[in-house]
Amino acid sequence: MKKWQSIVILTVLAILIVFGTVFGFVSLDKGELGTKNYKAYITQISLGLDLSGGVYAVYEVDFDKLTDEQKDNIEALIEGTRASLEALLFSKGFSEAQVTVANQKIRVEIPDEDDPERIFSLIGRPSSLEFKEYVDGADGDLSLNDPNGKVKLDEKLTGNDIASAGVSYDSSTGHYTVALNFTEEGTKKFSTATSALTGSQLSIWINDEFVNAPKVDEAITTGSASISGKYTYEQAYELAVRIQSGSFPLVLKMSESNTLTATLGSSAIKAGLISGVVGLVLIFIYIIVMYRYMGIAASLSLWYYSLTYLYFLAIFPWVQLTLSGIAGVLLSIGMAVDANVIIFERIKEEYSNGKTIRTSVGTGFKRSLGAIIDGNVTTIIGAVVLIIFGASTIKSFGITLLIGIILSLIASLLLTRLILKCIMVFNNDESKAGLFGLKRVDVEKGVVENEEGESQAQVEEEQAQNVSLLKNKKSKKGGARQ
Amino acid sequence: MKKLQDAKIVEKHWIWAIAPVVIFLVAVIVFASFAGINKDITKGMNIGIDFAGGSILTVELGSDVLNNSEEYDKHYKAIEDILTSSEIAKQVVEYAKENFNIEISESAAIASISYVQTSGNGSEMALVIKYDNISSTFDTKTNDLTTERNKLLESQIKEYYNTQYPDENISISTSYIGATASASLIKTALIAVFVSLILILIYIMIRFEIWSGIAAIIGLIHDVAMMVCLVAIFRIQINSAFIAALITIVSYSINNTIVVFDRVRENRKKFGGKVKGSIIDNNKMVNESIIQTLSRSINSTITTMVAITLFAIIGTASVREFALPVIFGLLAGFYSSLVVAPSLYCLMKNSADKRKLAKRDGVIKGKPKYAGAKNN
Repeated sequence: MKKWQSIVILTVLAILIVFGTVFGFVSLDKGELGTKNYKAYITQISLGLDLSGGVYAVYEVDFDKLTDEQKDNIEALIEGTRASLEALLFSKGFSEAQVTVANQKIRVEIPDEDDPERIFSLIGRPSSLEFKEYVDGADGDLSLNDPNGKVKLDEKLTGNDIASAGVSYDSSTGHYTVALNFTEEGTKKFSTATSALTGSQLSIWINDEFVNAPKVDEAITTGSASISGKYTYEQAYELAVRIQSGSFPLVLKMSESNTLTATLGSSAIKAGLISGVVGLVLIFIYIIVMYRYMGIAASLSLWYYSLTYLYFLAIFPWVQLTLSGIAGVLLSIGMAVDANVIIFERIKEEYSNGKTIRTSVGTGFKRSLGAIIDGNVTTIIGAVVLIIFGASTIKSFGITLLIGIILSLIASLLLTRLILKCIMVFNNDESKAGLFGLKRVDVEKGVVENEEGESQAQVEEEQAQNVSLLKNKKSKKGGARQ
Repeated sequence: MKKLQDAKIVEKHWIWAIAPVVIFLVAVIVFASFAGINKDITKGMNIGIDFAGGSILTVELGSDVLNNSEEYDKHYKAIEDILTSSEIAKQVVEYAKENFNIEISESAAIASISYVQTSGNGSEMALVIKYDNISSTFDTKTNDLTTERNKLLESQIKEYYNTQYPDENISISTSYIGATASASLIKTALIAVFVSLILILIYIMIRFEIWSGIAAIIGLIHDVAMMVCLVAIFRIQINSAFIAALITIVSYSINNTIVVFDRVRENRKKFGGKVKGSIIDNNKMVNESIIQTLSRSINSTITTMVAITLFAIIGTASVREFALPVIFGLLAGFYSSLVVAPSLYCLMKNSADKRKLAKRDGVIKGKPKYAGAKNN
């Protein structure tokens, strides 16, 4: 690398670091720089129920609409409804939402929201859904297991048979449609029903109210179907939400809803932020004292790491920061430092074995790669398992962890190395070893050679003031190597 | 310096076992005494409202009162006094004895407050206090002790407000809630931890050797066990945050052990362990590897500890309650990666080598032969 290249790289990095810091922590909402709506991205990180409070709603089971069979199984049905509500909320990015059962009531708590009405737009007004055979002019359509109807299913086709409902866009008509996916059982039923009803209409009823009666063009056997009306996005979304919420095993009615304050309060976030920043500064001081220029390179790359980490936490919708998330972030910083420490210790070791600075750095990175990769891969395995197996809180924590590990690998293996290379361009002289915190150790005697018992601070002072002394040292070191 | 280079570490595995065993025994004693005093096994550890379920008390005081910190403190203090009064506990104890012939201790009947928050806006703003239920050992569907206690608490608090603030119409209610962190949370957490342990084991066995894998996994189990023991000793609440702390440690702690075993892998080559059929001085090699990675282990532990320790110091009580187990886990991880896992590795590797040697020579000789050990 040439000197000018190194200057260009360092300048670009410096500009990025300043911009990153400003955009990360400073909100421009008071008309500074002519903008009124920029919010620091750190404020955009969504927070869990324990940190931010939120809204809650309590749903009661509508016992009037239960069959006797359902009444016998009420505990299992409530649990099933609870689980589907939780899954629905998670799929909408509310990984920290809590859905709990108490006294046969279901309590939904959604973090980081202050409008209780939001719960409705998220999970809809939980209701029952049924597909029926459309009978023109009649008061009520025929259930699909009705002996008088064309379709002779053993059971009704209800919301239980739907796995998911979503919105899709039909480019041929320019309208939005509601895409339905049936469960395995539902696929069979729907296939039987649509083959019997080809050419006539199938009606959709929510909470025993008629919603829509799409025409069946052909038998649908694939387990997915779409309802096409001339919907706008909002209408299709609303309908999809209603159908999805109708896929709960029970008919629910809401008994109360309100806002909640955080259980931990904003003090926890403040404590996390302060300990993150102060902790980082202390770590910077520590590694700069320990590793000099290498420490500076690591500090710069760690700062980048922290900024990008916060940025990704802010933009990923599945991330909701909770108390454990904050601790995860703090530990990730520790992990990122760790990778740098492993590399630097290795470089020190290589140098003490008699290599030049440049070779030591090269081999140091190469030889520590194994440990870093293996260590991080095991942690990645842990994180991925949490994402796959864990529910809500644990899943969100796994995502936070995974982002942290990947970014820390990039920071320590690529960025630290780049910055270190740039710094080395200006300090490629063997006399500068002390500035990198490097020293040669005589393996036999175990004596420190190039510093002769001087403290690091003394060495630095001398290096700054007395160039000739440095030259003197250089010749000593040369002798030692022979 | 010279002494450190030749330190015998893995040979002293009995010494290294002392600390974990002592911590384990103390934890068992603490657990048993708390369980004994309360005559209830679930009280052996401090299980939080998340898992045990609890009750909610709602007092609608309005935002004028609740946003004024002086007023807030006054009301909270009064309510807290009633909630934790031994008068009500005594009545509950008597109620249990008279109606169901159950002996419960007074301390088991006193409500312990889990957390406090406010809910709603304006004049409907309410103080919401969540506290624990009477343990399910005593409290079943037929003898609803918690419901009885809630009734008593509610009437006591109503009485307080009727006498102190007769002009104001304050709505007060209690309700019984189930465990918010359901058993399914623990179940999925356990499955996740178990699956990741297996996958990590497989990975280490592929990248290293089978003995490193087993030693690393036992090291991880040690870390988790030590966390649980220390939490039991210090009576820290077991709630969903603690489960998260456990998972955090499982994910991070393995990293330290890997660094040591990576060095072992490298040194094995140097010691001539790659020569087929050769058997080397495992103890010496592992000791050297530990010493070579020692400064990294210390530096990394310090840098990791800095932020989380600050978090524990600056944070509120509940933050501390979460951060402490993490700190315990980091310390346990430092210990296990430095001595526990390497010692176990040597124990297993040595006996494997011995078997190999016996197979080759036909007889077991006293000491294994060291072939091609460079530093010997």
